[in-house]
Amino acid sequence: MTTPGFLEVAISLVLVVIAIVIARYWRIPVEKDMALGSVRAFAQLVAVGYALEFIFDLESPWLIILALVIMIVVGAHAASGRVKGIRRPFVITVSAMAVGSFVTIGVMVLARIISFEARYIIPLGGMIIGNSMNASALTADRLSSDLRSQRLAIESALALGKGWRVASAKFIRNSATAGMMSMLNFMKTVGIVALPGAMTGMILAGAEPLDAVLLQIIVAYMLLSAVTITSIMAVELTVRRFFTRCHQLQHDV
Amino acid sequence: MNPPVLDLKNLSRVIQSDGQPRAVVDDISYHFHRERVYTIIGPSGAGKSSLLRLVNRLDEPTSGEVFFHGKAHCDYRPCELRQKIGYLFQTPHLFEGTIRDNLLYANKELSDDEVKSLVEQAQIKSSLIDRPTDRFSVGEKQRVAIARLLATRPEVVLLDEPTSALDPSYTEAIEELIKQIVDREDLTAIVVTHNPQQALRIGQEALLMVDGKLIEHGEVTEVINNPQTELGRLYKERRLK
Ligand SMILES: Nc1ncnc2c1ncn2[C@@H]1O[C@H](COP(=O)(O)OP(=O)(O)O)[C@@H](O)[C@H]1O
Ligand SMILES: [Mg+2]
Repeated sequence: MTTPGFLEVAISLVLVVIAIVIARYWRIPVEKDMALGSVRAFAQLVAVGYALEFIFDLESPWLIILALVIMIVVGAHAASGRVKGIRRPFVITVSAMAVGSFVTIGVMVLARIISFEARYIIPLGGMIIGNSMNASALTADRLSSDLRSQRLAIESALALGKGWRVASAKFIRNSATAGMMSMLNFMKTVGIVALPGAMTGMILAGAEPLDAVLLQIIVAYMLLSAVTITSIMAVELTVRRFFTRCHQLQHDV
Repeated sequence: MNPPVLDLKNLSRVIQSDGQPRAVVDDISYHFHRERVYTIIGPSGAGKSSLLRLVNRLDEPTSGEVFFHGKAHCDYRPCELRQKIGYLFQTPHLFEGTIRDNLLYANKELSDDEVKSLVEQAQIKSSLIDRPTDRFSVGEKQRVAIARLLATRPEVVLLDEPTSALDPSYTEAIEELIKQIVDREDLTAIVVTHNPQQALRIGQEALLMVDGKLIEHGEVTEVINNPQTELGRLYKERRLK
């Protein structure tokens, strides 16, 4: 198999047409979304492709860091839209994602497992930031919603003289777990139920399967670390908004 | 008279409701002395719960201060203060686990005997001590919550409508329990109730609150049967909304 060009992409549009025909026949109202989605996927990915080619050629570490920062800011903005009940959640998501991503990437670079080149850092960073985006949004949103709905439980503990951390311990645990759950499930089933996209991509592009697997394992560990750090950071930043220094639960946050 | 256990000085709490500032507790001053039972009465929404929350420091006053044994609330560590000034919520919330777990959660230093005696005091069958509490009735839960309230050895207990969530048949028993506990433990109790008859049964003094303000106060029979103010008379005649 050769690497596909634009002609091959155009031919595979046949599949999109088939999907739309099926949807229309069964009256599933998604044709518009499908058509639009296919165009968007094409446009976004091609744009990213050109951007990556451009960045890979640049070789400047500052540009690599700038690219990571932009990904984090854009991701944190998207994540903050999914966090309800907190003012300016962006502050929380962007800090949690930045710490989770940079610590993880930093450790791997310092350990010389990954060299600090755009070709490696950008795609890995993309995966890491994408996962930590979900983790920050899920964690902060779950915690904010629990701290609101479980007011009686929390204040019952506070009123007995428990500190805010003890009073909200259960909800802290639950929300951090919620943020990490999809990652943990992924690790359980990886290789059995599904082959991860990155690995599949490497194999399709001609890499030896074992090389692809080893890299995938490193990626999984990186994601695990990034998601865990991000969730914990998101918890710590969120829970502090809800409590005053005098261990009072406030809802105007 | 001894110095008061609790002293409220010009206590106010203003909240934003519909974008407007509103005083839910409005400039309340009062002395509470040891070993007495105070009742706070008033129509729903008068600010009774809001006042108790300030005394337990679950909320911060907008202005004014609470003094406990002559020392301002802010000079105590909040957690220590709350162990000395216990708060019983209107609806009991028990933590996961057994009655014993709940009592030990409140005070992990309780001995087996102390657990037993708290349970007895709250008139719970001692055979239930190690039962999970999730299937208890609200009345039973309220007793466990009372036992748990006493587990931190408070000097003041704040009871927010302790019988309103209960079946009327439980009311009398819980009222008896409250009276006994106050007698036996040298406690000061502040009991919120929307029922003036209950105030007469359990209280010595009464405070009538309307719209966040303290309208009448004094001996409970006087406040309820012989109010001095127009609002007090309206409350007696049940003509306040
Ligand atoms: N956190 C809050 N947000 C908005 N309104 C509140 C809040 N807490 C209390 N209130 C309002 O304050 C008033 C007093 O409430 P509350 O103290 O519960 O009265 P009571 O216990 O006498 O029925 C009510 O009108 C209530 O709606
Ligand atoms: Mg109330």
